[in-house]
Amino acid sequence: MIKLKHLERFYPLAKEKFFYVLRDINLDVAEGEFVSVMGPSGAGKSTLLHILGMHDHGWSGEYFLDETAVHRLKPKERAALRNEQIGFVFQQYHLLDDLTVYENLDIPLSYRHYSKSERSALVADTLDRFQIVGKKDLYPRQLSGGQQQLVGVARAIIAEPKLLLADEPTGNLHSSQGEEIMDLFKKLNAEGMTIVQVTHSEKNAAYGNRIIQLRDGWVV
Amino acid sequence: MLNDLRYALRMLIKSPGFTAVAILTLALGIGACTAVLSLVNALLIRPLPYKAPQELVLLWQKFSAQGLDQIPVSAPEYLDYEKQTTSFEHIAAFDYADLNLTGGDMPERIQGAVVAPSLFPLLGVGPIQGRVFTNDEFGEGRDNVVILSARLWQRRFNSDPNLVGKEIALNGRNFTVIGIMPRNFQFPLPLFGVQGGTFAERVDIWKPIAFTKSELESRGARSYGVIGRLKKGISSAQAQAEIDTIHANWLKQFPDNYSPDVRFGGTLYPLHEQVVGGMRKALIILLAAVGVVLLIACANLTTMLLARAGAREREFAIRVALGATRTQVLRQILCESVLLAVIGGAAGSLLAVWGLDLLRAIGVQTVPRIAEANLDARVLLIMLAVSIGTGILFGIVPAFASGNPEVTEALKEGGRSSTAGAPRNRVRNALVIAEVAMALVLLVSAGLLMKSFARLQNVDPGFDPDNVLTMEVALPLAKYPRGKPVADLFAGATGRIKALPGVEAAAFTSILPLSGTNSDSSFAIEGRNPMVEKVYPDEEIRAITPEYFRVLKTPLLRGRSFTDADTADSPKVAIINEAMARKWFPNIDPIGKRITFSDIRKPDVEWITIVGVVGTIRHRGLEEDGKPEYYLPHAQNSYRAMILAVRSRQDPRSLTAAIRAEIRRMDPDLPAAHVRTLEQVTSDSIAPRRLSVVLIGVFAAVALVLAAVGIYGVMSFLVVQRTHEIGVRMALGAQRSDVLRLVMGHALRLVLIGAAIGLAVALVSSRALQAMLYRVGAFDVPTLAGVTLVLAAVALLASYIPALRATRADPMAALGHNT
Repeated sequence: MIKLKHLERFYPLAKEKFFYVLRDINLDVAEGEFVSVMGPSGAGKSTLLHILGMHDHGWSGEYFLDETAVHRLKPKERAALRNEQIGFVFQQYHLLDDLTVYENLDIPLSYRHYSKSERSALVADTLDRFQIVGKKDLYPRQLSGGQQQLVGVARAIIAEPKLLLADEPTGNLHSSQGEEIMDLFKKLNAEGMTIVQVTHSEKNAAYGNRIIQLRDGWVV
Repeated sequence: MLNDLRYALRMLIKSPGFTAVAILTLALGIGACTAVLSLVNALLIRPLPYKAPQELVLLWQKFSAQGLDQIPVSAPEYLDYEKQTTSFEHIAAFDYADLNLTGGDMPERIQGAVVAPSLFPLLGVGPIQGRVFTNDEFGEGRDNVVILSARLWQRRFNSDPNLVGKEIALNGRNFTVIGIMPRNFQFPLPLFGVQGGTFAERVDIWKPIAFTKSELESRGARSYGVIGRLKKGISSAQAQAEIDTIHANWLKQFPDNYSPDVRFGGTLYPLHEQVVGGMRKALIILLAAVGVVLLIACANLTTMLLARAGAREREFAIRVALGATRTQVLRQILCESVLLAVIGGAAGSLLAVWGLDLLRAIGVQTVPRIAEANLDARVLLIMLAVSIGTGILFGIVPAFASGNPEVTEALKEGGRSSTAGAPRNRVRNALVIAEVAMALVLLVSAGLLMKSFARLQNVDPGFDPDNVLTMEVALPLAKYPRGKPVADLFAGATGRIKALPGVEAAAFTSILPLSGTNSDSSFAIEGRNPMVEKVYPDEEIRAITPEYFRVLKTPLLRGRSFTDADTADSPKVAIINEAMARKWFPNIDPIGKRITFSDIRKPDVEWITIVGVVGTIRHRGLEEDGKPEYYLPHAQNSYRAMILAVRSRQDPRSLTAAIRAEIRRMDPDLPAAHVRTLEQVTSDSIAPRRLSVVLIGVFAAVALVLAAVGIYGVMSFLVVQRTHEIGVRMALGAQRSDVLRLVMGHALRLVLIGAAIGLAVALVSSRALQAMLYRVGAFDVPTLAGVTLVLAAVALLASYIPALRATRADPMAALGHNT
């Protein structure tokens, strides 16, 4: 599903000096895999995830997503491909505080070409699937951390992406809530979704079927 | 789009403080624009209330050699135009007429007009009841019909449905009411700045013209305005050419009346231009002023939204991460700003309604058609467009600033706030500089106008207006044919009024100073032949009773004033003013010199001896030097319409009832109208300037407040942004004064740059004001320096409050603050 070749990301510091966040990354992720990316702080894990999620365009190298050469696409084309294929779960949930749960779920659909009735149906299904129908009119501040992240995951998969990227999805949750989220990921993976997560936790990494270690921007 | 609007409304409700300030700012800017737009709409854009008003022209004559322009025509001249012109579908003469309406409890002086029967077909406006004049009702003895205004019909006759056909008494004669005109009908319209024209009261009675025998015999007795409707397909230029041809023929036919040396001619003026042309420049200046206020409001809103955009960067990054395109983010932000602007515009329209009421109250005596200014559909539509445009204008910069967020940085754990902070700060600083510059331009304009107005108010008008009451008394021809009866009545009234307790002096005059009316007459000077010298004296003339100069406290410089001995049977005398003495009798004593109205080529010349010289009165306006004037005793020149002037030891208004009673004792059918103190007359004469000063002053004050709010907002945001830096400085030893200097120094830099730019622009823009200034140059240094200091002081005060807040910050808390 994902193929990275000689991917690099750096920031210019001073005259002809650069800071490398990612160096010569070569990586393959097959469809249906559940991959965990681990490493110390500053290793470049989140940067790698944001590149995979096409939020970051300042990289060099080759990136193939499902045979599509992302590195040859313009930012607008990448955004369209991302909308089609990828869902993203954030460590801080990043729900929109002034929207209800229902509206937060509706937001990604409103940026894609769904009709109003299709959107209503999808949101209703997702609320039901995640058993949060009773919370649809609540605002994020009225939910616990675990509930917010649950909504975050629901929002990430509502448009039925093929690939789910999760950046420390349980980083701000306590252990029981974290387990619930990881169980959910396991279930989604069993249903065929490819998942790449960044995690510090070996316990969380164990939910996946492969671990990639990053250190100082290199895959080790 | 609906989602975006719903979300926008929610965001506004969530921040009531921001929303309230934003709506108030927008209401001030858009409301002021709307009020001025309503004025422009009523005065310049809305057509005059007649059929095809663009076809209507006024014909005025001129005697260029004497500097006389836009003067009325005489009866024979009008009749010649009527017979000889082919360019007009209709042509009609008209003049104002004072009419005393009697019957009922009190006689009342009504403003009337005498008009040719062709007037109403010419204007294309029909009555709501009855009919208009026919051609049979034109001329002496056939003119005993009148048409009333709806206003008079409702007020005086209680909307009597059977009034048409009934008789009313005017000036001692009975007239049959034949029609009632619609409520909004008005003719003549006040003509802005026409020589001899008056900003007259609204006409309520129309009567057919009845040229008298003496009018028909005199080509030189000019008092009628002429209005024409051009035929379809005939241009103004073609009609003008025809008029020029007619005048050329008159020069040959009537050489005694139209000597080639006087350069007689006539000009056609579009009616609309005559009514409002003089207002155009002032309105453009007003529009520019409110435009500046609106721009300042937009700049304020932009800085406020930029600050909010910074705080909402995470939200926009999430939206982009969830699939929003840049266009969708831009649309959402613009939705919010346009919604805010439309709400602000609605609030502004309420302010505009109030503002228009105020403008109408201030301007009713001085601005033609101002009563018609209102928020009609056109104005509301323009206001909506202005609101939407304003929303886009102040929303576009924050929208573009936020439309392309740094997604990765914004969404990472502990991600830095956007590196776009520096460009946004530059934009904010630029906006503050622009606001200061624009506010200074308005303040300079207001300062110059105020200084000019103050100078004007202190001008010596040539008389003392304090404690003088004036009122108009017009005698009907039927009861008071010209001559002794007229003189006797006014002399008798003067005697009775002088005897009232509290009266110091009383007199009548045919023309009151600064009243906007005028009268001039040509004359010859003994020993000077105008045919030879090619100079034709024509100066302003007044008829007065003996105590006139005592009432006005105008100094008698030489000779004597008129006395009761100057009667119709005694030698003819005149008094001239100093300006006339300088012009026509330079370096010689004019006392004893003689002038005449007669033709000096004929043997029976009636000479008038100059017996006195008085100080010069500024009649045409306080800003104009007094013109030459000469005065004749009323007993020897018995005008029937005179103005009483009474000097009192107490508040002169307290004498109104007593004076009216004395006049009614002489003739119960004589009303005294238009009661005003001379102070009011003087004040009304500068009312147009006062209106400009008030309006520009208000706009400048609003601009100053908005600029101060803008500076306060930016400085507050700066303090928040630099909290960590300030904490570090304080931990390293910075004192309170150092922190104050840091924040206020930044504000001062912005203000100085803005002031420099504003002064440069003001130096150019204030040239446009030069025509409105009196004895104040457009580059008046004290004014420029003064307003700059005021602006700088207000701006520094606005920055002092956030600076003070910064000095109260706890350094440890500030150091713990995450950037």
